Amino acid sequence: MNNSNLLHWSFDYNYGAQNPQFAQELIETLRGYNPKVGARDIQTAQTITHIYNVLPNYWCGYNRGGNTETLSIGRVIIQRSKHDNLWHYSVKYENTTSGENLQMQFCCSDEDYRPLRDNWSVDARNSANDEYSQVACAGYLTSDSEVRLRINGAEIAAGTVDASVKLTCNWALFDVIPTLARTIQASGDGIDIAVLEDLEQLRRKSRLGFLESTQTPIPLEGYYLYGVGLLPSYWWLDAHGNIAIASTFFETLVLREKTGDSL
Amino acid sequence: MNERPNILFINTDQHSWDAISAYGNPYLRTPNIDELHRNGTSFRRSFCTDPVCAAARSSWATGLYTSETGVPFNGGYVHPEIPDLGQLLNAGGYKAFHCGKWHVPGRNVRKSFRALYYGQRDIGAGGAAYYDSASTHAVADFLTNYDRDDPFYLQIGFVDPHDVCEYLHNHEEKHIPNPLEQGIISEDDLPPLPENFDYDERETVLHRVCRRVDDALIHAAILKGIRGWDERHWRYLRWNYYRFIEKVDAEIGRVLALLRETSLHHNTLIIFSADHGEACGSHQMFQKFTLYEESVRVPFIVACLGEDIPVEKDRFDETHFVSGVDLFPTVCDYAGIDVPERVQGLSVRPLTEGRDAPWRDYAYIESNYWGRAIVTDRYKYVTEYKPKAVEDFQPPGPDAEQLGLAQLFDRHDDPGETENLTQDTAYDEVIETCREKLFAQESRLHRQQIVHPSPKRVISNWGDRLRGYWRHNE
Repeated sequence: MNNSNLLHWSFDYNYGAQNPQFAQELIETLRGYNPKVGARDIQTAQTITHIYNVLPNYWCGYNRGGNTETLSIGRVIIQRSKHDNLWHYSVKYENTTSGENLQMQFCCSDEDYRPLRDNWSVDARNSANDEYSQVACAGYLTSDSEVRLRINGAEIAAGTVDASVKLTCNWALFDVIPTLARTIQASGDGIDIAVLEDLEQLRRKSRLGFLESTQTPIPLEGYYLYGVGLLPSYWWLDAHGNIAIASTFFETLVLREKTGDSL
Repeated sequence: MNERPNILFINTDQHSWDAISAYGNPYLRTPNIDELHRNGTSFRRSFCTDPVCAAARSSWATGLYTSETGVPFNGGYVHPEIPDLGQLLNAGGYKAFHCGKWHVPGRNVRKSFRALYYGQRDIGAGGAAYYDSASTHAVADFLTNYDRDDPFYLQIGFVDPHDVCEYLHNHEEKHIPNPLEQGIISEDDLPPLPENFDYDERETVLHRVCRRVDDALIHAAILKGIRGWDERHWRYLRWNYYRFIEKVDAEIGRVLALLRETSLHHNTLIIFSADHGEACGSHQMFQKFTLYEESVRVPFIVACLGEDIPVEKDRFDETHFVSGVDLFPTVCDYAGIDVPERVQGLSVRPLTEGRDAPWRDYAYIESNYWGRAIVTDRYKYVTEYKPKAVEDFQPPGPDAEQLGLAQLFDRHDDPGETENLTQDTAYDEVIETCREKLFAQESRLHRQQIVHPSPKRVISNWGDRLRGYWRHNE
């Protein structure tokens, strides 16, 4: 692993946090996982779990309480298993700055784009000392490709998916990008995809394209995603088929652990 | 209308007045704010009281201008004896709730309001990516469970598009390649440069020292980082800014949908505004802190999605000058609560209902403690007070002897504010009229000495720099 602090600009936020250093934390986190566990053939696995460390991109101030031991402000656990030709996802997102923790359940067809299927759910819980403590959201896609959400029993429309694109969840992109990597690279301008962010916000048409490669801190291939209502995010794929780094606008997810129970 | 409606104040942060698709901006899509416009009156001559978060928000909270509140910039503190809107509403029988960004230093939001959500790490200046979705969840939980007969006041402070500040901070210490060269975006996707990208360098000393010089008092690191920007970088800034607005528009959409679904929309008055705007490349400037139009002019919509509250719908009010101080008396008017005597603002309720009302013929704006602007139908007059030889921490004005440089723009012939007319003697009378308005307005203010040590330090430090400039240039 290359210890250089010269990280790619898309995930170089070292200046914003002098102590602990962003680069050091990122590199240390990546050291923690064994990339070969689970191998890249996730098609044969029963359950694959990726755990990501959440680092704040801007200012030490977004680290709860100015903790100087670690920069981390949370973690993401993405667990998926394959049954009956469907991928079943369970995603846990914890953020100690917002205080909100999300538990998301959804399933996708066993296709490259991982299209969303059937019903999904989001259980949001607030750990901050406020009146809001919990809200439950259930969603489904109608036959007319309209996204419907039920929040505490009230049902609302969340937009209609364009017929020309497939709808997936942003958390399934951790599998979509490795699977479609070569297709995306070959496409030149990238491919279009609809994203249901955190299973609630529909980004109707987003562009997924190849950015470039880097060797720091490990060999990585970069991809970008942006669209209406969606700031560019950058997804970095390692040589073993894992998204090792995903830098959204405000946070950088760094792979810290991977398990695969079938291997 | 029930005698006392629910009142929902939705605010965004750093949202310029024209960054709404219903207003004709083709570079972004804001279907949900558009819906508010279709169901209400958009005040097109709406100005913040001070183009920075804490200062502008202190006016929302108190109905006073920022030289009165004790918050003339982000580091101030609201004078403790001034009542705030939450306190007043609670005393008047309303249930006053807060959700999201507050940023009124010196006033504990959890004491003035019932806080639905304020973050594990209290929400400060930015962080929409962490907080806005959680704020929407909190409001969803509130609306779907509200089963009381008594009316509520709920203010939702979304942080976006303020995260454009972090986009800019990102350029402080590292080189980010041109996104077109990276293939991330195509030329056709980018909005053009603003027509007023080039500007008249005859600006006030305060403006230059705060925002232009290499060691600028405000965000010098960003200034240094973007010195090498070409046209495409500026356009990409604009492109990103509009994406932030689309993000927050989507959050607003969920709130409005839930309001309808819970049938609360019939008797809920919605006020939508922003604390200040964003320069976004105009005058080759970024962020706020300036008295140019993009920084000080904000959306202000009063709407009702149902029919129970009389609101003129799908209408632009192009006539009346609305100010951030008007939120407080407007809310009080609808809530049936008497406005404290010192409040400077006016209720827009009669205007929203299509009735005439006595109204001001200008907007008054303050900035960075010493900066002042008067906006009239035809002109904008911008000026500054020189720092006193010995600072007494009494916000300046009205004082003709202490005025520094000025800018005058013809809003009809030069809406982009690109030509300073102050050196043309043909405008002497216009300037004099604007000064009279300025001094008359300032004479009505209850300016109070700043006593908190933190803002006093800022005033001392900034004052030293400004005094140094004047010493060397007079």
